[in-house]
Amino acid sequence: MIEFYEANKDILLFSGAAAVKVLLFLGGVMSFTALLTLAERKVSALMQDRVGPNRASVFGLALNGLFHPIADAIKMILKEDFVPGKAERLLFTLAPFFALVPVLALFAFIPFGDYVMVFGYQLDLQIAEVPLALFYVLALSGLAIYGVFLGGWASKNNFALLGALRGAAQMISYEVVLGLTLVGLMMIYGTAGLQDLVRAQGALLFGFVPAWGVVVQPVAFILFLVAAIAENKRTPFDLVEGESEIIGYFMEYSSMRFAAFMFSEFVEIILVAMLAATLFFGGWQVPYLYETGFILPGGKALALNHYLVALLQVGAFSVKTIFFSWFLLVVRWTLPRFRFDQLMGLCWKALLPLALLNILVTGAVLLALGKI
Amino acid sequence: MISVKKVNNRPLNLLERIYLPEIARGLAVTMRHFFVNLFNPKGIPTVQYPEQTRPLPGNANLRTRHRLKLRADGSPKCVACFMCQTACPAYCIHIEAAEYAENSVEKYPAVFDIDLARCVMCGMCVEACPEDAIAMDTREIPGGALTRAEMLMNKEGLLRNLPGEPSTLGASNRLANDYLEGKK
Amino acid sequence: MPKITLDGKTLEVPAGTTVLEAAQAAGVYIPRYCYHPALSVSGNCRMCLVEVEKSPKLLTACSTQCAEGMVVSTASDKVKAARRDVLEFLLINHPLDCPICDQAGECGLQDYYMEYSRAQSRFSQEDKVLRQKRRALGPHLMLDNERCILCTRCVRFCSEVTKTAELEVMERADHSFIDLKAGKSLDNDYSLNIADLCPVGAWTSRDFRFKARVWFLKKAPTVCLGCATGCLAEAHHNEGEVFRLMPRPNAETNTWLCDRGRMTYKALRAGDRLTKGFIKNGLIDLEPALREAATRIDEAKGAAAVLGSPWLSVEDNAALALLAAAMKTEHFCFDFKFETGIKDGILINKDPSPNAAGAALVKAGKGGLGMEEFRARLNSGAIKLVVAEARAAALLKEELKASGARLIAFATNRADIPAGAYATLPYASYFEVPGTFINYQGLKRAVEPAVAAPEGVKPLWEVLNKLAAYSGASLRLDSAADAMKGMA
Repeated sequence: MIEFYEANKDILLFSGAAAVKVLLFLGGVMSFTALLTLAERKVSALMQDRVGPNRASVFGLALNGLFHPIADAIKMILKEDFVPGKAERLLFTLAPFFALVPVLALFAFIPFGDYVMVFGYQLDLQIAEVPLALFYVLALSGLAIYGVFLGGWASKNNFALLGALRGAAQMISYEVVLGLTLVGLMMIYGTAGLQDLVRAQGALLFGFVPAWGVVVQPVAFILFLVAAIAENKRTPFDLVEGESEIIGYFMEYSSMRFAAFMFSEFVEIILVAMLAATLFFGGWQVPYLYETGFILPGGKALALNHYLVALLQVGAFSVKTIFFSWFLLVVRWTLPRFRFDQLMGLCWKALLPLALLNILVTGAVLLALGKI
Repeated sequence: MISVKKVNNRPLNLLERIYLPEIARGLAVTMRHFFVNLFNPKGIPTVQYPEQTRPLPGNANLRTRHRLKLRADGSPKCVACFMCQTACPAYCIHIEAAEYAENSVEKYPAVFDIDLARCVMCGMCVEACPEDAIAMDTREIPGGALTRAEMLMNKEGLLRNLPGEPSTLGASNRLANDYLEGKK
Repeated sequence: MPKITLDGKTLEVPAGTTVLEAAQAAGVYIPRYCYHPALSVSGNCRMCLVEVEKSPKLLTACSTQCAEGMVVSTASDKVKAARRDVLEFLLINHPLDCPICDQAGECGLQDYYMEYSRAQSRFSQEDKVLRQKRRALGPHLMLDNERCILCTRCVRFCSEVTKTAELEVMERADHSFIDLKAGKSLDNDYSLNIADLCPVGAWTSRDFRFKARVWFLKKAPTVCLGCATGCLAEAHHNEGEVFRLMPRPNAETNTWLCDRGRMTYKALRAGDRLTKGFIKNGLIDLEPALREAATRIDEAKGAAAVLGSPWLSVEDNAALALLAAAMKTEHFCFDFKFETGIKDGILINKDPSPNAAGAALVKAGKGGLGMEEFRARLNSGAIKLVVAEARAAALLKEELKASGARLIAFATNRADIPAGAYATLPYASYFEVPGTFINYQGLKRAVEPAVAAPEGVKPLWEVLNKLAAYSGASLRLDSAADAMKGMA
């Protein structure tokens, strides 16, 4: 036993640490997703001068609606699991997994902190340190199309198929823009690994401005945000769903199968929020906070405990994620839905040229500064 | 002839055409509402029905929950003639008749149930009643129940006189008046 | 054969026909209260007044015989005015207590007022002469003199049909009212017909009183199963409950219905309805009861016997015959002989069972032992087990007790279960399932279901089907009519 441990110490420790990280991080994401379903209803209510859900109660305790996600989950589980008679049973069953699994897998690459020293070992606060993480992100988010398209097609329902077709077209189009917006970042920071990207954003421009992505690539940020919302299929780009016209690709889904689709949508919100924070807002970086503590531009320093620094960094990442999640909710309840031709026009005629121009300008500036 | 009205909308200027400033303006409006309501939830106009209700205006003239009127001696004016049950378009009234042994009115409702969950508040029962025994003037608006049983009103729940009643007469029913005279 | 002209149409009618009958035959309805086709003509209500040419006054159609060349008008202004006036006259002292009156909905006063009068009364409520309100007369009836219009149908019924003459019009003129003769009580076997006869709400049935409003009632044609007379009847029902039995007047058998026959519907909701099997003294579910009964039948093998029943429909008797064939037994009997004939000269038969003739039909088709032979075999101990309907089994009470043979009975109500029955299985009553009965005259009478059977209770043929299935045979029955295959 001991010999086995000694012989495989590294791999065992790595696996153990990875398992703990997956459990903690994914557990956090999942519970945040559940709260987000409530938040969506509460935020929309407050924006529309309403109260929002506040009736579900346990032992008469309503807590302003905090139990609604639990009530929703119980309801979803108890609903009839309906499969249309003519549906492709296998694909119909697989589609929700295709929608949910790639999205959950994406969280493996997101750094939620720098590192912590545990019993003398350095523990990276990221599940999988991958050098080309950005490409994995693009590749896996591309897989999410399968969930939408298989779900719509396997239902053997005209409206579901229509939704799926819209979804496929929309997601493929916006994926191009999404990928191109990230090129500028890679050019500037010279890396495609997300942890490296975040670390690079810790530098200071002109001695006092944090070199966050949004500072060096403002246009790319806006393009990224638009493309990410479109990728997420939420208003104003929710033609895939279009409640008032076609219901959408999950029209024939009920019970937990439907819940998987809905859950994946909310997980995607968190994912987009985390990516926006990681790529453009310094991820876990807190301005002027370094490994040893705060060092302000004037030279003043405030030494901090290592664990406190790690906590601050994880906290900063959480705050940024929550802010962007909230922002996405507000956007969803503010803007009306696009028409499909407008949607495609926006992508190919506006966002794509802008993204290419952005790369061109970035390259020119870098060339002028002699960074290449 | 279809009349055609030409609307000459002002063409969008550059800022409006690139969307972003307008989107920011829209976001500002919704966010203002969000924060105002977040920090001042009392300002939200929602009424938490059925725990809260808004009082009916004093001059409100409307059909509300039913009641069965009583005679001077406390017996129901209703003689279980089934007219309301016959007139009811929603089939929400259920009556079972019984017989008084001595009372000259002979007939009374042993069971008188109104299923408010079915009732459409049309007032046909009031129109149909030949004894002026049923009324919809309690000014209580039914609803907001968690079970069907809560929406079922039985005779005991329905029998009620409003302040100022009972009238000296039993009903339009001669037999009832004779009976009340005899009791004096 | 006098020829008359009625409302412009020329009719030729047999001599002695009254104008009312002639009009009825020609499809012209003349309103009437006191006239009833089965009673003598009285002519007192004046509702049927018609105008006859050359007659100085209007004539009552019910008492005027058609004569050659008569020109009758039933719709002239004079006639209409007369009807309106007669109605106003009849309604002067009417209490207008329709809300508490059971007749409402089938009341001659209500119907004719809406049809022929619609006039405002010139008498105020206060001026009305009050009379005695309800009082119970006899076991079945309630009399309200205030509602009475003195048509005397009830008086004539008692003196002409039942010939018991309990009722009489007391006092004279404006003071007159219907009452019992001194020393009499209204307890003849046909008294409930008075409630049907009464065109207003003066006579009402105590049994039906305040149970339901007549306009809610639906009607299902049925047959009275009280005796072998097999009177045609009508079950009035609503929301799965039968409220009363009314006669369906017909030329062959009955105009009336006897009180006992009218009350046969009560067994339906008597509270002792069998909905489960009954083994010895304990209730058990139908399926285990069937299994138990089937086991006992299999045990008895050739010593098991099947007895038909004159209380069951022809189809169910035929199904019993099929069961006997499936059990491969020699011992089965569909031979019931009762003395038939009308006992009281009106309707009640000497034979208390409704379908002895139907059982005989099954005997003719399927064979079987004579009753005497069956009794003899039971006494000799050749029969160890009898499958029979409860009331038919009661006919062999003595023999069953003496021989100690096991009895597997079918019953609708607990009260019917014969003493000493080993197992009793429930079946649906003939208010709940269709069936055919043959009365003492040999007339086929079909029963149509009025209400649904209580949950779990099956028609007898279905019970037999299952019983056979449990003992490994199949009767191949999908409906009651299937049992009749291969029979006339």
